[in-house]
Amino acid sequence: MASIVLNGVDKIYAGGVKAVDGLNLEIRDGEFMVLVGPSGCGKSTALRMIAGLEDISGGEIVIGDRVVNHLPPKDRDIAMVFQNYALYPHMTVEENLAFGLKLRKMPKAEIAKRVNDAAKMLGLEQYLKRKPAALSGGQRQRVAMGRAIVREPQAFLMDEPLSNLDAKLRVSMRASLNQLHERLGVTTVYVTHDQVEAMTLGHRVCVLRDGLLQQVDTPQNLFDNPVNLFVAGFMGSPSMNFTYAELVRDGSGAAVAFAGYKLPVPDATFTEKPGLDRYIGKKTILGIRPSDFEDASAANGNAAGWARIPVRANVTEELGSEINVLFTIDAPPVEHKDTVAAQNDGDEEETATLPLAGDKSLWTARVNARSHVRPGQNVELVVDTHNLHFFDVDSGLAIGHEANVGR
Amino acid sequence: MGRKVFGGFSQAVLAVWALLIIAPLIWTLLASFKSNGEIFGDALQLPGELRWDNWARAWERASIGRYLLNTAIVVFFGVAGTMLLSSMAAYVLARFKFPGNRLIYFLFVSGMAFPVFLALVPLFFVVDGLGLLNTHVGLILVYIAYSLPFTVFFLTSFFRGLPDAVAEAAMIDGASYTRTFFQVMLPMAKPAMVSLTIFNVLGQWNQYLLPLVLLPGDKSNWVITQGIADISTIAGYEADWPALFAALSMTVLPVVVAYIVFQRHIQSGLTSGAVK
Repeated sequence: MASIVLNGVDKIYAGGVKAVDGLNLEIRDGEFMVLVGPSGCGKSTALRMIAGLEDISGGEIVIGDRVVNHLPPKDRDIAMVFQNYALYPHMTVEENLAFGLKLRKMPKAEIAKRVNDAAKMLGLEQYLKRKPAALSGGQRQRVAMGRAIVREPQAFLMDEPLSNLDAKLRVSMRASLNQLHERLGVTTVYVTHDQVEAMTLGHRVCVLRDGLLQQVDTPQNLFDNPVNLFVAGFMGSPSMNFTYAELVRDGSGAAVAFAGYKLPVPDATFTEKPGLDRYIGKKTILGIRPSDFEDASAANGNAAGWARIPVRANVTEELGSEINVLFTIDAPPVEHKDTVAAQNDGDEEETATLPLAGDKSLWTARVNARSHVRPGQNVELVVDTHNLHFFDVDSGLAIGHEANVGR
Repeated sequence: MGRKVFGGFSQAVLAVWALLIIAPLIWTLLASFKSNGEIFGDALQLPGELRWDNWARAWERASIGRYLLNTAIVVFFGVAGTMLLSSMAAYVLARFKFPGNRLIYFLFVSGMAFPVFLALVPLFFVVDGLGLLNTHVGLILVYIAYSLPFTVFFLTSFFRGLPDAVAEAAMIDGASYTRTFFQVMLPMAKPAMVSLTIFNVLGQWNQYLLPLVLLPGDKSNWVITQGIADISTIAGYEADWPALFAALSMTVLPVVVAYIVFQRHIQSGLTSGAVK
C-alpha cells in the first residue's frame, strides 16, 4: 500500500485542449478517494495518468516514494478496474485472474492460493472454469475486481466500474465495494460521474470541472460547505436551489430577501462565514438545499425558529418515504456559468429542464411523506435558516468558505 | 407476408444457383468413373461400374500426388506467412498512432486495386534476380506479398473494433506489447483470423498465373494448377478423358472438404465484417 501524490499534473492533448490543469491531490495511504465531475471534466484522464495509460504533459505523480512519471503501467504496481470490465474473453475466469501473476513469474502454488482466496471473497468459486461470455454482468464485474485483488497492488484504480450494471445491482455492488475496501484497506482511486456513488463510497471526494480541481473534502463537508456554486449544484440530489437575493439588516436583525420572501439570517451564520457582513445591502446568490425545507404541517413543531414561506406546489414527486415538491418562486433563474455547468451533465447541448417555469426559478423542496401535498395545493414550507448558503454573484465562490477567504 | 414471398423467391434463386455450381462438380466426379465411351454418350447416364483404375492412372502417370504435396507446402507457408505478417501489420496500423500510419495503410489498400497481371514482368525479373525463380521459397514470398493487402485491410478494421481497455488491462497486468498482441489481442481476433485463413488458402490453392510465371521449369516443383493444365493437354493428345476427370476430382476434393469443415467460419467471417 502506498499514498499517491499528484503535483501540478497537466494533461494537454494535441490541439491544445487542457484536459487536466495543474492538479494537486494527495491520496493518503489506504484512503478511498473518489474523483467526480460531469463528463469531460478530466477525471478519467487523471486516473489514466496515474495508471500510466496516458502520458503526463507536466507535473509529477508519486506512488509510494517513487516518481512514476516515466514508468510503464506494469512497473507502477497498481491494478485497474475498467468500466467495461476488459476481461480476456478467450480465457476462463481462473486464467483471467492468474494472468497478471503468471507474467510476474509467481510460483504456481502461490498463484493458485491467491486465485482461490479472491474467488472465495467474491463468490466466484463455481465460475472459475467458465469464460466471461458465460457470466452475467455482475459476475463479470466481480471477475474484474478479482483480477485487481489477486495482484495485491499498492493501489486500486477504478474507472466507473459500476456504471454498466443495472440500478439494483449497482447498489449492492456499491456496498460490496465498501466492505472490500474495509477488508483490504488498499489505497483506492475511484472515478465516477454519479454523485451518489461518490458520496457513499469515498472517504474523501475530489470534485473536478474542466480539468480544474474544485474541492476535495469528506462527502459531508462537500455537502454542507461547498466551495462554490458548481460544487453546490453538482453534489446532492435533487440539487440545491439558487436565487439572487439581497442581504439586509434592520431593527429585527439580519435577513435575506428574495422573490417577495424574507428569511432571517441567524447571527451564527455570520460567525461561521467571515466576510458575509460585508455583503449586507448587496446582491448575493442564495442557495437552499431541498432537504432544508419541510412542510410546516408535517414538521410537528420540530421547526421551532425556522422561517416559514407559503408556496404553491406545481409538481409533486412522491418517493414513498418523502415527497419532492416543485414550486416556482417569483425571481428570474440564476444563470451563472457554474450552475449551468453543474446541471448539464456533460456533452448534452440542450438544457435538461423544460422551460415551463418561464422567467421564474423552479425550486424543489424535499418534505416528509406525511405532508400529502398534491399538485396545485398551497403549502406552507419551513426553512432551516441555519443552513443557508451564500455565493458571490460574480465569482460564484461561497462567501466565508475557509478556502475562499482572501480570494 | 412480404418476407415469406421474398423467402420463397430467394430460395428458388439459391436453388438454381446451387444447381449451376454443383452439377458440373458432380458430373466431373461421375465422369471420373466412366469409360471414354460413356463420357461421350448420354450425359445423364451413370457410370456402368466404379472404374478406380482411372484414378490410379491419374495418380501415377500425371503425378498428382507430387503436385498436391507441392501445393500443400507452398500454400501452408504462404498462408502462415500471410497471416502472421498481416496480423502484426494490421494490429500496429489499427492501434498505434505514429507519423506515416495512414500512408502505410493506404499503400496496403492500394495494393488491392493493383492487378497482378500488370506486375508479372517486373515480378519475374525481381524473383529471378533474387535467384528464387523455380523455387518454392520464391513462390511463397510472392504469394505472401500478393495476399497482404486484402488481409491487412480486413484485419485492420477488425482490430479497430476491439476494445482498447482489454489491451490496457493486459499492459497493467504486466504484459509487454508483444505478449499483449500474441496472448490477448490475437486470440480475440480469432473469428477474423480463421475466415481470412480460409480465404487465403482457397485463393492461393487456386492460383495459376503466378506459378505459371515463377515455376516454369522443373516439373517436379509444379503446383496442382500447373499439373491440371498439363494433364488436360496430355489427355487431349491421348484421349484419356476419364483420367483427366479423375485428376480434376482429386484436386477439387481437398478444397471442398476444407470448405465444408470451415463453412461456419466462412459465413461468420463474411458477416462480421459487414456488421462491425
